Amino acid sequence: MRTRFDLVNIAMVYLLAVVIVALRFTRGPAITTSVLCVATFDFWFVPPRGRFTVDDAQYLLTFGIMLSVALIISRLVESVRGQAAAQAALEIETETERIRSALLASISHDLRTPLAVIAGASSSLVEGGERLSADDRQALAKSLFDQTRELSEHVAKVLQMTRLETGEMRLDRDWVSLNEVAGSVLARLRERIAAHRVIVELPDDLPLVRVDATLIEQVIANLLENAAKHTPAGTVVRLRAQRRDAELIVSVEDYSGGLADVDFARVFDKFHHGSLQGTSTGVGLGLPICRAIVRLHGGRVWAERVPAGGSAFRFTLPLEESPSVPMERAD
Amino acid sequence: MADPRPTILIIEDEPAMRHFLRASFDLGGYKVIESPTGRRGSIDAGTHKPDLAIVDLGLPDLDGIDVIRNIRRWSPMPIIVLSARVYEQSKIEALDAGADDYLTKPFGVGELLARVRAALRHAVRSGSGESTLHFDDAVVDLDMRTASRSGEHIHLTPVEFRLLSTLAKHLGMVVTHRQLLTEVWGPTHERDTHYLRVYMKQLRGKLEIDPVRPRYLLTETGIGYRLISDG
Repeated sequence: MRTRFDLVNIAMVYLLAVVIVALRFTRGPAITTSVLCVATFDFWFVPPRGRFTVDDAQYLLTFGIMLSVALIISRLVESVRGQAAAQAALEIETETERIRSALLASISHDLRTPLAVIAGASSSLVEGGERLSADDRQALAKSLFDQTRELSEHVAKVLQMTRLETGEMRLDRDWVSLNEVAGSVLARLRERIAAHRVIVELPDDLPLVRVDATLIEQVIANLLENAAKHTPAGTVVRLRAQRRDAELIVSVEDYSGGLADVDFARVFDKFHHGSLQGTSTGVGLGLPICRAIVRLHGGRVWAERVPAGGSAFRFTLPLEESPSVPMERAD
Repeated sequence: MADPRPTILIIEDEPAMRHFLRASFDLGGYKVIESPTGRRGSIDAGTHKPDLAIVDLGLPDLDGIDVIRNIRRWSPMPIIVLSARVYEQSKIEALDAGADDYLTKPFGVGELLARVRAALRHAVRSGSGESTLHFDDAVVDLDMRTASRSGEHIHLTPVEFRLLSTLAKHLGMVVTHRQLLTEVWGPTHERDTHYLRVYMKQLRGKLEIDPVRPRYLLTETGIGYRLISDG
């Protein structure tokens, strides 16, 4: 009686081991464990001990049950796991789908407007021909040109965001003067920021930075464009940079209050287009691109309110000891 | 047969782009030859001996860089490459392979003709360069090594003069960092871009009215510099 009671308990311990293994691992290890358990149980505890022979046929039933328990539990676990994985995959897919459709909606909105103007203006030119006055023709051609460039900027931004997100972007770092980058941004954006008073405040002794010049130019351009887009014409936009400890802080500030109700914490998020509307166009990728580029350089980017009732968009770039330049002897 | 107009070879696979280029060059008074592929273009360059070649970097059959190398093997004709904005590296490769200048798509006809004029002028001068440069009311004489603004002397160091001369040799065209560093400081310094940053700042400080918004000593971000002159 006593032996049998012990044996049942021992069988239970083995069964527990099988259940645990079946829960934690896949079906293979569960079956192996149950076979091993049956074998050791048989060898050490079932009379005659020390041999694999079995006196009482009812132990065969015990073995069978241990094996089936292992199989059933591991199958159950597997199916639960499978469901969880499918659920997770589904969630990722939904999220990707959400981002994709937001991107598509945003792109198609921003691409459709210039495309409509281009189609309209060009069809007027084709069909109107000589009946249009020279001034009208000129105006239509000009809007074709402007809208096409707008379109091209949008497409470039979408491409760049994609490249940044897929990690395809490789930094081509070299020593760069922020003065020069600012100069070429101002030249590039001349027409787009012409309506604003852009003030550049870059200290004369600003150190060189080791960055990817093309990308940092893009960041400053996006910030300036953003400021120009969301503040009234004629207001001041200030581009400034200063050294603080081991980093450089670059800021684009405006004082118009035009961005008063902006959610500063989320403004760099992708598709956070919402509160930045007003007269704006743009895929809403300008600021997320800024963030991705600055992070790639090991810097931080943020937006905040400035006391004069405007907003500031700032980013930092880590400073490195710049190598010396051989100076000529003053004569 | 005796057409006095300069001939331009367009190596570009997109028919619409070729059409636009042809229309622009007609407007500018140039004769145009069109090649739809890199191989065809390399041959046309030999048979037609154009005065200048426009090479698209995104050709389907041959790499634009190879087309430039093919032409450079036997001809110093000016080559201007067309490239998309995102691919900065390919522009530098093209310039290193022997292209003289580049245009980033999309571009306007004004920009296109200005580049072509500068490149043709450079070819006529065969690299001797302009000797007098004007920066608003400042004048630099590279032969005499003097500089002045409204009669007042401006001091330029020997390195600053060398830098200006190198840019002036390619007046109106881009000069890569590497080209400038090699010609001014020597081949061992071809990667010391920080030299350029420091000296360009000095030059702008002396010659530009507003050094932050330069009108003459222009930055081509990630690629090099370009000197524009009032003439």
